[in-house]
Amino acid sequence: MSASIVASGICKAFTSRSGVLVEALGGVSLMAQPGSLTCVLGPTGSGKSTLLRVIAGLEEADSGDARVEGKAPADLKGSIGYLTQQHTLLPWLRVRENIALPMRLRGARPAERQERARQIAVSLGLEDSLELYPYELSGGMQRRAAIGRLLAQDARYWLLDEPFANLDERTSHSLQQLLLGLVKEHGLTVIFVTHSVDEAAWLSDHIIVLSTGPGRIIEEFEPAIARPRRRLSEDYGSVMERIRKSLESVLGDE
Amino acid sequence: MPEPQTRGSSTSKGPRRQRPSFPDTLRGRIALGAVLPALVLLGWWAGIRSGTAVVPTFSEVARVLLNPFDTPSDIYSRSLAFSTFITLMRLALGFGLGLMTALPLGLLAGRYRAIDRLLAPMVQIARPINPIVLLPIATVLFGLASLATLLYGGYESWRHDVFDQIQLAMILILWWGAFFPIFISTLHGVTSVRRSHLETLELMGASDAQIFRHVILPHTLSHSASGMRIGLGVAWLVLIAAEVYPGTRSGLGYMLCVACKTSDYEYTFAAIIVIGLVAWLTDAAIARFEHRVGHWQAVER
Repeated sequence: MSASIVASGICKAFTSRSGVLVEALGGVSLMAQPGSLTCVLGPTGSGKSTLLRVIAGLEEADSGDARVEGKAPADLKGSIGYLTQQHTLLPWLRVRENIALPMRLRGARPAERQERARQIAVSLGLEDSLELYPYELSGGMQRRAAIGRLLAQDARYWLLDEPFANLDERTSHSLQQLLLGLVKEHGLTVIFVTHSVDEAAWLSDHIIVLSTGPGRIIEEFEPAIARPRRRLSEDYGSVMERIRKSLESVLGDE
Repeated sequence: MPEPQTRGSSTSKGPRRQRPSFPDTLRGRIALGAVLPALVLLGWWAGIRSGTAVVPTFSEVARVLLNPFDTPSDIYSRSLAFSTFITLMRLALGFGLGLMTALPLGLLAGRYRAIDRLLAPMVQIARPINPIVLLPIATVLFGLASLATLLYGGYESWRHDVFDQIQLAMILILWWGAFFPIFISTLHGVTSVRRSHLETLELMGASDAQIFRHVILPHTLSHSASGMRIGLGVAWLVLIAAEVYPGTRSGLGYMLCVACKTSDYEYTFAAIIVIGLVAWLTDAAIARFEHRVGHWQAVER
């Protein structure tokens, strides 16, 4: 099967305000298969978010190339959904309007987009929050609303930057389960960035661990755990251990 | 079990409204808001009791306020209603022009660096100049030219009662007073739009016009509304001072000043009360707009 998202040798450096050149990525390559969840894991400063931004077409790589469906990300606007841990919902719009926004941008008729927004909200358990503003929602419900907007966008490729950060464990687990269901139902290709070892082991079909300064791949593997996964299983524990060791080796190098 | 629906709420049917504290209830707002005006009335009453001629009685002022269309016979001024109308016309025109120029220029300067670079030096130089001190210069520049002069020509302008009282010099300084707060706040509004919001729409495939319509404009309007409130306050201060200037024949500032000169203090007091009330109402209207477009700001901050 040919990969949906291909990043080859991505290098990216930034110049700080004091004029110092900071290398964020030092030649990172990855492939994400259709309908899979790829996890990019690494400590702070490993360039995880930068990698995601390059794949989304929000940053230009200094060298290397990112392709989605064989095209430059800029040519696929609308098909790529991007979610960060905060500030993605427009605070002046109600949840209903936030979810309907991508359809509004596409020129869908008001009745059509209201109905679809309602359907999405019902599927995500947001039906009672449609008339609320994002700031009136809990953190978990805000993420659900943002996920709802990605569904309304009909994005096939989801790039999630620490999507479940700063949430309590129960909420985080419930959203992870939701994401797994959506990937299966809609055949989404997801690349997500996280700090959480548990999140990586629970969700991923493919794990990439990055080093720091600049970010380089130090380990890449496919966790051999059957789905549905169980947190208390032996396989799960060994994958968690492998990720931890990998991260410790990065931190030990610093 | 699903996560909590809303902040500070345990119900699944939306946020539970908390009982407002006393200052936020209607009764509390009226009671607290009436304290200082009551003290002013008390001071006024004390002035009446002292027997000074400068302080008119409540009934004298009430007579003027309750008969707003009566032309005063003893002072050279128009009726209170006409004076209020002229003042509001000047304010609407001066402030309206300030708004219509500051808002688009602020948006453009915030969006395009070249326009910001073009305007910034002049704005920073001009902004601290008090508009009142510009009135003599504006009067020299425009003379007594008014809206009627523009519409009907110099020789016919005096026939047009209302438009002849909308002097261009006055409009210029009102524009000056209103322009800068709105421009600066709008500029700040555009430059403080979150990058994540812009990028989110960009990835949805939004055009520049759609990004402007759905992100930049709503975000900026909440900032502009704050600038509008400040600009309106400045415009009121400038206007009342400008209406005292030679060449003016009506307006609340004019009535206030003339009545003072002729010792008809009931008109002075009535004009002050109307200025205060109308300014309060205009500010409340903008405050309402500010809340409507910027309710989310309080939480974001």
